[in-house]
This record gives sequence, structure tokens and C-alpha cells, in this order.
Amino acid sequence: MFRLALKSVRHNPKRLILTAFAVALGVSLVAATQVFTNALSSGFSDLFEDIYSGSDVIVEAAPTTDDEAGDPFAAAEGIFTPEEVEEIAAVDGVEIAGGGLQVDGSVLASGYADAGATDSLSGGPPSQIFNWVGDPRIDQATLIDGRGIESQGEIVLDLDAAPALGYELGDEVAIATLDGVSTFELVGTIRFGDSNNLQGATLAFIEDADAHDLAGDPNYSSVSVVAEEGQDLDRLASDISGVIPEGTRAITGEDKAAEQTEELNDVLQYVDIFAIAFGLIALFVGAYIIVNTFRIIVTQRTREFGLMRAIGVTGKQIRRMILLEAVVIAFIASTLGIIMGYLLALAFSWLVSLFAGDIFGTLTLPLDAVLWSYGLGTAVTLIAAIMPAIHASRIAPMEALRESATSGKKPLKVRNIVGAAMFLVGAGVVTLGLYADFERPYIYVGVGAVTLVIGATLLSAQILSPLAGAMRPALWKWFRVDGKLAANNIQREPRRSSNTAAALMIGVMLLALVATFTESLKTVVTEEFSSTRADAFATSTQGAMPYGAIDVIESVDGVALTSSIGFSQAEYDGVAYSVAVLEPETASEVVEYQSDPSVDDLGSGEAYIDPTIVDLGVEVGDEITLTAGENDITLEVAGTLAREGEGNFWIDFATGEDLLGEVSIVQTLVVYDDSVVADDADNADSATTVTEQTELVQEALAEDYPLVFLAQPGQLEQLANTFIDLLLGVISALLGSALVIALLGVANTLLLSVTERTREIGLLRAVGLKKSSVWRMITVESMVMAVFGTVMGMVLGVALGSALVLSLADFGFDGVTIPWVWLIVYTVAAAIAGVLAAVWPAWRASRLNILAAIAADG
Amino acid sequence: MTTTTVSAPAATMRDGYKDYGSGEAAVRALDGINVSMARGEFTAIMGPSGSGKSTLLHTLAGLDNLSAGSSTIADTVITDLSEAQITEVRRKYIGFVFQSFNLIPSLSAKENITLPLDISGTKVDPAWFDEIIGILGLKDRLTHLPAELSGGQQQRVAVARALVARPEIIFADEPSGNLDSKSGSELLAFMQRAVKEFGQTIVMVTHDPTAASYADRILFLEDGKIVDEMREPTADRVLDRMKQMGH
Ligand SMILES: Nc1ncnc2c1ncn2[C@@H]1O[C@H](COP(=O)(O)OP(=O)(O)OP(=O)(O)O)[C@@H](O)[C@H]1O
Ligand SMILES: [Mg+2]
Repeated sequence: MFRLALKSVRHNPKRLILTAFAVALGVSLVAATQVFTNALSSGFSDLFEDIYSGSDVIVEAAPTTDDEAGDPFAAAEGIFTPEEVEEIAAVDGVEIAGGGLQVDGSVLASGYADAGATDSLSGGPPSQIFNWVGDPRIDQATLIDGRGIESQGEIVLDLDAAPALGYELGDEVAIATLDGVSTFELVGTIRFGDSNNLQGATLAFIEDADAHDLAGDPNYSSVSVVAEEGQDLDRLASDISGVIPEGTRAITGEDKAAEQTEELNDVLQYVDIFAIAFGLIALFVGAYIIVNTFRIIVTQRTREFGLMRAIGVTGKQIRRMILLEAVVIAFIASTLGIIMGYLLALAFSWLVSLFAGDIFGTLTLPLDAVLWSYGLGTAVTLIAAIMPAIHASRIAPMEALRESATSGKKPLKVRNIVGAAMFLVGAGVVTLGLYADFERPYIYVGVGAVTLVIGATLLSAQILSPLAGAMRPALWKWFRVDGKLAANNIQREPRRSSNTAAALMIGVMLLALVATFTESLKTVVTEEFSSTRADAFATSTQGAMPYGAIDVIESVDGVALTSSIGFSQAEYDGVAYSVAVLEPETASEVVEYQSDPSVDDLGSGEAYIDPTIVDLGVEVGDEITLTAGENDITLEVAGTLAREGEGNFWIDFATGEDLLGEVSIVQTLVVYDDSVVADDADNADSATTVTEQTELVQEALAEDYPLVFLAQPGQLEQLANTFIDLLLGVISALLGSALVIALLGVANTLLLSVTERTREIGLLRAVGLKKSSVWRMITVESMVMAVFGTVMGMVLGVALGSALVLSLADFGFDGVTIPWVWLIVYTVAAAIAGVLAAVWPAWRASRLNILAAIAADG
Repeated sequence: MTTTTVSAPAATMRDGYKDYGSGEAAVRALDGINVSMARGEFTAIMGPSGSGKSTLLHTLAGLDNLSAGSSTIADTVITDLSEAQITEVRRKYIGFVFQSFNLIPSLSAKENITLPLDISGTKVDPAWFDEIIGILGLKDRLTHLPAELSGGQQQRVAVARALVARPEIIFADEPSGNLDSKSGSELLAFMQRAVKEFGQTIVMVTHDPTAASYADRILFLEDGKIVDEMREPTADRVLDRMKQMGH
């Protein structure tokens, strides 16, 4: 049986090439993702080893339970006093103990004050500024040029950053912190680790006392320990644990690196899942092509199977033979996919390293990737082959004797009923997943969507068949006989044609869905910015807005008022929620907030709650307790918000300080004085324009707060739209693979049906149909299927996208924007793709030898 | 309406050779054929299996190339023409009837009949169309798909298709080969009528002496050579002749 299956594969390699390729493409995405994230992870674990390799033991704050260790580079609060560092140094076996402290700030480029503000909206690469211990093992720095730091007011930079920022030895280097700009003299350059692999960040060291000053913190956030020769590090770590304060821990450098790698892997896992989702979509689309291929092969071999049955082969054996054939294809395809995936990862990491430097370890093929690839490839192929295999096993011996193998005349009734049922059930399950607070909603949404799409595919045969019939006159008018024959061919095998179109439908559906969502998002953004009364938004590329910068802005002539907004997290009832901190006195002057009562009435010790919290059963007048870190405060619920997405809780700044200590401001909205500043539109000669006024404010900030930038709502809107377009672009690119597979599917189906229609084409040629006409016939067939799949996909995609947008009404979406431009682009692209997909089949069809074609057994 | 009879033949072949394969496996299917098909004549080609009958038909019709020699259709030497030009010639001057699978399964009987005209974009002459289907008895079968027609009806549709464009010459390779004797003789009678009444030229390959007897003349082929020719044949004479050839 296995030999028979193998022989069949070998006998007809062409029809299987495209099938295998379709599976391979999907598999390659899965494999590439895993190779890629594996390399990324090993690249970072090398970096972590670099960071911690000098320190034998590290003393730091013990991780809290809710584990926010997402960003390993963030500056942590100081917890070790200099005396405690001394104590650690005094432990037996410790050679040196150095307190470490990171300053939250940015090293500015030379001449920063002259540079325009416009190109700085995106901010520069991050800076890592540390205190200089002076021991290369702890600093992880090798002096390259100049000297180390000897006194206050000096700085060393890493060897790449110094020239990149435009500094030479002896220059004054500017550092911006929340308190303003300070300058230091550049006395040396250093190399970090072995290769200065900093992933694009700037590394700077300043004198210990300067670091404490800038950080506004007398303590150290961690202590790095170098052990004396021959110490048992685990023993030493536990010895040190004896002298350190509560809430801190001692861990060996090796363990720390491993821990960080593990944390990173947790994050990368999400990247994996995201990318694998697209691989699965591609495989799902590929499954349609496999179904089609096997279906056609079974039809073509009906007589062969009938003969086999006549000579005593059981249906079961035939079924097994076809499934074995599927296994052979799956094996070949998965192997091909793994190779392609590895090459893809290689190409991509090379591309990334052009921009971001060498952040990858060596690219290896993890065992996981191999297992997943073979597993998924085989599963998809086998599942797709099951229906055709069952179909083949039911072929009666009598069919061997029948003249033609046209099976397309079976009514579509059963198919329609099953299709409609699946469509409805799928839609129901998706709805449940979206609205009915289940444990893992995405599973419901995913399974429901797949069911819905399969249902739509089944139903589409019913639509496609009469549609092709209806199009006959038009096709006849445009393409004469070629067009009519094409329409007939589509109509003849409605199942096959609609499966082919369905593969394309899925890809386009997802594209249309994303496009609908992003276009609607853009509308929301536009409305959001047009509803603001602020003339400018001030933000800092460092993250939080410095309080001093707000004072500077308010001191500029022509500024009427500012209103700042802070965001943070706090726990309510054991769950973390977002908290917005507002200035009630000015908030309603800058944004039309929708709350009951107005935001003006928000007082200290009060909170407004959004619909999410209302759903928890909290009501106006209730007392609630919010917890952040060690603080907890009890507030009275005094109002409700109309929409979600603007913070679960609203509090004012006084309450915010009680809860959070210092409130970190994300942005400050600025309103200009109407009597001084005219609208840009009016552009009265006498008055200052908004743009001019914004420049004035920007200039005032340049001296002390060069990292604070003002943007007008229009600019921000543009920026937001650019990001949304980028999102659409990235997702489209990822869906590209599914679309490529779908087009391969169109080509594959046509190729197989050309084989099937060999005699017919020979006959047409014999009675005088030109080669070019044959070509045109196949092309029209392909275009009709491609455009049909695209239109179906767009209808479904826009519908699902609209449903999604409507379900997000709570987040401020108040209408669907249909992405007409994209829809037109997709349709035109589909027609072109149809022409391209037809090239190979049409070429083969037009090149058929007439005599051989007529003699071929059909 | 009849085709005006001109002295020039509808199709000719001069010193036609056809070799398949090379070296030891080489087969000479046609071995110096000289033949001329006069207009308005019904010619049958007979001979043992493998004697080259189909090959002769195909090379005459421009479906296959000669290895050496030349052939003409309607005074055009087709041996030197390009593939596209030969297609053009086929479309304009030639009709075909094959042994089986003559029809495009997705087209109705009527659409199959008018296919050659549709391809060349010519209008159907309704009077001529009605006359043909009347003779062939296809009137109430026109909307049917080939799968819904009997074998004999299918072959009649194929003959109608060959006739509808009024080609210079019709080539038929065992048109009645798959039919029972009654439908076979009906079909052949129609073909004979087309020759007699409309001056159609037909060349037909057959194994069957009775079928051959409908023709005006018979060419006997053996090992790629024309070994004999018979005019005004009857089934008995053909049978005798074939027995001589060792059938
Ligand atoms: N494509 C081909 N390749 C090789 N040899 C061929 C090919 N076609 C025909 N032949 C050979 O050429 C010779 C003539 O074949 P042809 O088909 O013309 O015979 P025929 O008289 O039509 O036979 P039949 O009565 O069986 O149809 C045979 O020996 C055959 O084997
Ligand atoms: Mg023959």
C-alpha cells in the first residue's frame, strides 16, 4: 500500500509541487518565527551574561509577587545605603562590593539646543547612565581612550556613542534629567563587555556623588560583589543574605543572567504566539488547496479506483492509500518548510542587524521548531485529505466502466445546509466569545471564526455557480468564446471553484477586517483631536513630563493655561486597574470629557469610575479602596464616565499624590490666550499665530528641558495616523504569505483542471482555437475566481470588521468607516493576481500537443 | 447552394514521409505518400492496424508535421506554415470528426455545433444551420449537453459541427467506430448526402468495409504506402480486397 502511494506521488510530481509548496509556506512561517525568537533569546542571554559576568553575586530588591520585571533596563529606586554596601563588603570572602545606581536621564547630542524640535518628536535612542565604581569587573567597561573618572563633573561615554552624539574628549556633555540639563566634561571612552553590544543605547558613567545628585537619591539600587579567589558563590550569596535589609536578596551573577533570560523568554513567547497565528492562518488557507488538489486527483482517478475496487481492493485500502499519499506530501512539504523557514529567519535577522547591530546569537534550529513544523504540516495535510479520501473509498466498481468522470452534477443541497449551519454556529460562537466573559475568549473567537469561514466557503459554491452563469453574456461580449468557455468551466465544478476562491477569500477577509478597523480608528482619532480645545500637547521623550517644564510653559507670554494628565496603575479588590490623574480646575477647558457630573466637580478624596468598574457593581456614593505599592487610600465614588479607554478611575492630583507619591505626567495640554494668539486660519497680521506661539514656547524650553516637545493637534493626528497605517502595513505584510498561498491555490486548481481537460483543449485547438485564445480562456477563468474570492472576502471582512468596531463602541468608536480606497485597491490587485496565477496553467494549456491531447485518456 | 467545383484538389500530399522515434526504435509511419483529394469527393482510407491511416489523416490536416515531403490544403502549402498560420488554415478550411470525445462537455449541442463559427467570429447562416440539423435529426436535442446525448447523437452533432462552417475538407477518423451498425450507417448516409448534395469533400479513416462502401473511392494503406485504390466500392469487393491483404 505504501509503495503504491509513493509510486502515485512519483508518477505525478507536478500536480503535487504546488500543493507541497502551499503547505511548506505555512510551515516555513512557523519555523521561521521559532528560529528567530530563539536567536533573539540567545542573543539577549549573551547580553545578560555580559552584564552580570563580572559580578559574582548581585544584591538587589527581591522581586515582588506581581512581577513587573518587563524592562530590565529601567532605573530602580535606591534601597541600599552606603553603610549597607560597606557591610556587604565586610562579609568574609568578598573582595569588592560596589553600589550601583542608575540615573533616569538622556545624554543629549552636541548642539542639541540649535536643533529644531520638529525632527525630535520620535525621541532619540535611550541612555543608560550609571555611577562609576572604578573596577572594570563591576562597571563592565574597558577604558579605550582618555582616562577614567577621577572627580565630580566628569563623564565617560561608550566608544560608539561619543562620535555618534558628536563629542570629543574635553567637550562638555549635556545630560537632561527631570530637573533640567547638567553638563559634564568628557574624559574618556570605554567599551562595554567584549564588543560594546548595547543594542543601540548610549552608555555613560558619571562620578558617584554626581549620580546621587542627579538621581535625587542618596542610596544605591543594587550592589555588585566580586568574590575572592576560590569562593563557593552559592555559599557566599547565602552569607551575604544574612546582612542585607529585608525585601532584598543576594543572587549569583550566573543565576541572575539565567533569570533575566527566562523573563525575556516569557515576553518572547507572546511574539511567538502572534507570529504563529499568522502561520496558522497561512496553513488554514493552505488546507483549502490541499482539499482541492486531492479532490481533483480523486476525480481524475475515479476510473482507476473503480478498477481497483473491481479487482477486489477494499474501500478502506483505497482510503488508506490516499492518506498515505498525504503523509508523503506532508513530510516533503514540512521538510521544505523548515528549510525555507530557516532561510527566512536568516534573511530577516540579517536585515535587522543592518539597523540594530548584532543582537542575535547564532541562528540554530531548535528541536521545538522541527517538531512543531512536522506536527502542524502533517496534521493540516491529513485533515484536508480526509474528505477526498472518504469520497474515493466510496467509489463503486461500476464507475470504472463509465465513460466520463464528471461528478460535478451532484446537487449542492447538502453542502448548502451544512454550510449555512456552520456559518450560523460560527457566528454564534464568535459572538459568545466576544461578549460572554469566558475563561479564554480567544479560543471561542478563533474556533468560531474558522467554522464561520468554512461555512461561508461551502455556501459560496451556491453563489458562484449562478454568478458564473449570469456573467456568461458579459464574458461572451468581452472575450467571445474564450469568455464563455471560462464561465462554463467555473460553473461546471462549483465546489472546486469556490474552494479555490475561498482560499483567497480568507486572506482578503482578514485584510478587509483590519482595514475597516484601522480606518474607523483613524476616524476616532480625528474626532478625538478635533474635540480638544488645547492648542498644543507637550510631552517628553523621556517619558514623564518634568514639573519644571510645566512651570516654564506657563511662564511664557500668551499661554492662558495648562492642564496635565497622569496615568498610573492601582489595585482595586486585588486586581490592577488604570488610574487617570486629572486637574479638575482646567481639564474641561482642554478636552470635552464625557462624565456625570462634569469633571469640574471632581474633588480630593473622590473618584469617578468608568463602565468597567460600574459592571463590577460599584455605584456612586460607595466607598472604595485603591492600593498602589505600600499606600492605600479610601475614596468616595462621586461620578461615572461615559466611555471606556480613558482610565478606569479618575482622581485629582492631590489624591494622586497620596496614592502614588509623585504623579508621573504623560502629557500637558496647553491653551493659548485668545486675545494674543489668533487661529492659523484667520492669520491676522497683528496677532501671533498658533504655530508661532508654539515655537516661542519651544524656545523657552530649549535651555533646560530640551527633551520636552510641543505638538499641535494636527501634527499629532498625522503622527497617530502614520502609526495606524504602519500597523495596517505590518499586518498586511504578515497576511501576505496567506495571499501568496491562495494565489498558488488558484494556479494549482487551474493547472489540475487543465490536465483534466487535456482532450477538450486538444479538440478546441483542432477545430481552430488559437493558442492565444486558450491562454485568454484560462486567464479569464482565473480572474473571475480571484475577483469573486476577493469580493466575498471584502464583504465578510467589512462585515466582521464593522461588528468588531460596533462592539468597541464603549471605547469611543461611534461609527464604521468603510475603507473604500483599500477595497478598490484589493479588487484591482486581485484581478492582476488572477492574471499572474494563470500564467503557468495557461502556458501549459496553450502548449499542449494537439494530437497527444486528443489521444490522452480522460 | 453548392460549392463550385474547381479543378484544383481540396488537399494533396507529395512524397510524404513520417518517421517516429530514432535509432533502433524508429518507425516509418508514412513511406512516400502521393495522394490528391478531389473536391466534392468522399474518400475512405483503409488498411491494417498500424499501417499509418491516422498518421496520414493528421498530417494532411496539419495536426502533425511531415518528416519530409509537402502537403496542401486549398492550394496552400501548409508544410511551411507557422503553428499560428496552420491554426488559421484549420479554422478556415477544415472540419473534424473524431472517433469519440468530439464535443466540449460544458457546451450545449447547439453551442458545440456553432463553435468553429464562434471561434472565428463569423455569423451563423441560419438557413444552412437549420438544413444541417434537419438532415441530422438534431432539432429537439439542441439545448442538451453532450452527456445527455446518445453516442450516435453525439457523433451527429460532431458531423454537424464539421459541416456548419462549410469547410474545404472534412477529416473523419473512424467516425462510426464506436456506434452500433444502425446508428453507424445513419451517420455515414448523412455524410454521403453532404458530399452528394452540397459538394462537401470528406476524407474518412475506417476499418469497416460496410462503412467504406459509402465512399466514392477507397485508398488501401499498408506499412505507410498506398498499395491500391478502388472506385465505386461495394462492401463485398472491399471485403475481398482486404482478404487479399491478409486480413
Ligand atoms: N506518437 C507516435 N510515436 C511513435 N510511433 C507512433 C506514434 N503514432 C503512431 N506511431 C506508429 O506509427 C505507425 C502508424 O500509426 P497509425 O496510428 O497511423 O496507425 P493506424 O493505421 O491509424 O492504426 P489503427 O488502425 O490501429 O488506428 C504505427 O506503427 C504506430 O506504432
Ligand atoms: Mg488510427
